[in-house]
Amino acid sequence: MPEEKNKEQDECFECKKKKDARWRQDFPVEWESDNYVTRREMVKFLALGSLTIAGANAVLAGIPHIVKAAELPRTRVALASSIPVGGSKLFSYPTEEDPCILVRQANGDLVAYSQVCTHLSCAVVHDEKENALFCPCHHGYFTVDEGRPYAGPPTRPLPRIKLEQQGNEIFAIGVEA
Amino acid sequence: MDNRQAQGTTLFTALLVLIGIGVVVQLWLLAASVDALMRHQQKIPLYAALGSAAVFVINGLLVLYVINFDRKIKQ
Repeated sequence: MPEEKNKEQDECFECKKKKDARWRQDFPVEWESDNYVTRREMVKFLALGSLTIAGANAVLAGIPHIVKAAELPRTRVALASSIPVGGSKLFSYPTEEDPCILVRQANGDLVAYSQVCTHLSCAVVHDEKENALFCPCHHGYFTVDEGRPYAGPPTRPLPRIKLEQQGNEIFAIGVEA
Repeated sequence: MDNRQAQGTTLFTALLVLIGIGVVVQLWLLAASVDALMRHQQKIPLYAALGSAAVFVINGLLVLYVINFDRKIKQ
């Protein structure tokens, strides 16, 4: 015990020596306390961060109203008479790199979707037996009438292609998200 | 530390936590907005922006309260 006490006294002596050093008197700034972040500073930082995030959210909300979607081309897809009930046809829209699928439903209506699966971008195909759009990579199923996923890993619907029929010809005129 | 100071410290810590939670909620709203934009949904970013603005107003009021409290203690 007495040894410890002596040690403490020695340390204090050293501390005192440091405190009394001439350079300490000339430069009394403590780096540790200089870098110390107080709670008040933290609250101010959080408030500014809150303002920044609110601003970023407002910008994001304004983007769709400022940037108008580019006009998509009107592309001839197929002849209506060439697709029987339950049949399908592949085409590309709006560019050659965007594969799509056109399907005639049992009620005779034509629907078209992007062929790119919303899970991991494999190409979906029409499964006539199941009356569904089927992704063979991970066994994802989408409904033909709405393109909604109902089985397998996909969670988002397939983008729908807007169609227009003029006489016997079918045209793709846009993409619905 | 007298009672008043101790109370101030507790209050300050509580408000710090509340504002921190608000900022986390705002970050979540921002992530949801980006996700909705990628899906070409226009309404969700609008609602998220309104929610984020509301949280910011609450945070601002809390900070003002803290500043006023600080002033009172110093006086």
